[in-house]
Amino acid sequence: MIDINALIEITARSLAISGLATLFASLWSIPIAILLSIGQRRWARLLIAIFNSLVGVPTVIIGLLLYLLLSRSGPLGILSLLYTPYAIVVGQALLITPLMISFGVEVIGVRAKNLIEMSLTFGASTTQLLLTIIEEASTRIMAVSILGFQRAVGELGVALMLGGNIRGFTRVFTTAIALEIQKGEFELAIYLGIILILVDFIVIMILRILGWRK
Amino acid sequence: MDRRAFVLVALLVLACVLGLVAYNYLLTQKTVLRVSTTTSLYATGLLERLADEFRKTHPDVVIQFIPVGSGEALRKASMGDADLVLVHAPNLEQKYINDGLLIEGGIFAYNYFVIVGPLSDPANIKGLDNATEAFRKIFEAGEKGEALFVSRGDNSGTHNRELFIWRKTGLNPRGEWYIESGSGMAQTLQIANEKEAYTLSDIGTYLKLKKTGVINNLEILVSGDPDLINIYSVYIVNPKKINGIKYDLAKEFREFLLGTEGQKIIGEYGVEDYGANLFYPVDPSKLNELKSIWRYFASS
Repeated sequence: MIDINALIEITARSLAISGLATLFASLWSIPIAILLSIGQRRWARLLIAIFNSLVGVPTVIIGLLLYLLLSRSGPLGILSLLYTPYAIVVGQALLITPLMISFGVEVIGVRAKNLIEMSLTFGASTTQLLLTIIEEASTRIMAVSILGFQRAVGELGVALMLGGNIRGFTRVFTTAIALEIQKGEFELAIYLGIILILVDFIVIMILRILGWRK
Repeated sequence: MDRRAFVLVALLVLACVLGLVAYNYLLTQKTVLRVSTTTSLYATGLLERLADEFRKTHPDVVIQFIPVGSGEALRKASMGDADLVLVHAPNLEQKYINDGLLIEGGIFAYNYFVIVGPLSDPANIKGLDNATEAFRKIFEAGEKGEALFVSRGDNSGTHNRELFIWRKTGLNPRGEWYIESGSGMAQTLQIANEKEAYTLSDIGTYLKLKKTGVINNLEILVSGDPDLINIYSVYIVNPKKINGIKYDLAKEFREFLLGTEGQKIIGEYGVEDYGANLFYPVDPSKLNELKSIWRYFASS
């Protein structure tokens, strides 16, 4: 049946990879989202529309494009990133960026606009403004990050194309589930799916509780 | 969120990341051999069993299997993303051999494809020993609306063999009775089971699913035709064409697969669990026969 050590290992690896991807994606997505929602100009709205439409790009397409880049015969082949956990981190971070920006513009934007009007009266600089917004809208930012994490941890295309589903190295929840289905072990695949949901739930509860304490 | 919470989350993330980096660092201290392989072979568990045995004599080596379809496995290997490739699609292999991308091919195992179908057998093929004849009968029953056929439709080794047999019949399967699943063997069998349809399967996946009881509506109807022999070959990616291939290590693993130790494991694997061979080792007296069968499929 389920090898408990393998299960713990897959869980830890999935969380580390997708957590790291979310962290990186947050570093650029959230400032971009804030800047775009502040920006009143036409190009800002155009960019928002572009990010909106990129949310729906199939994960395998991102996986395939990055595979061609990172392949030994591709332009970035010398980095030897392909079939390592880092390749999945890069892929998932790119994958969730449009989603985090789009959602960020919606939920942080409203809060940000109020703060700007307030801050402008105090004559704050752009950097100070950005920091104020990040501090004041932390719960919303957390919500954006959680959504990004969810998309990262639940996607299959990038993990399969860039990680290769190598046992003990790049096997994560979704690729393990796909493999069990290929093997015909449908029950095991469902158990893994349930565990994935439970782990997700626990992670989010911890983050939410920490957020509520404010 | 207060400061303590931030610190806690940051520490947790940091711990995860450090763990990942440290673990991967330890792995990179070892030599990695990358093998792209067909999923049907990997899913039986045989390859991990072989790798475990190989590691006993090569403790500093890590073998990483990348399980994908035969078409994808060959493509990825030819792009330099694997050192060794294990596949079962002679007609696809031939192209890469011609291009000089794959070298030192060797047959390391074989088994049989089987035509499975519903117990009611509407095309009346049970007991036939000729796959082409069976397909022709399925075609006729299908055109009459009495039978269904599920094709993998994914350019896998199994799909290529199915197309080979259709070509031999001279018929062009089209229409509503010919379903292309576009998915792996286990899912395709499951679809055939639900729809009471015929399909071509490798024996390993069929036996495994049969044992778990999820394809009770299906049984083996046709087997034993030489056209149904399924040949697994190993190739090394040509280091003269592609940089960074671990040729020496790949060669060692190839020798191990083809040698007595590897062959013994292949012949014994799964017999206890399924009461039948999942794979047959390559008996030296049969090698020439298998090679000529391989050439026959490769030129098709």
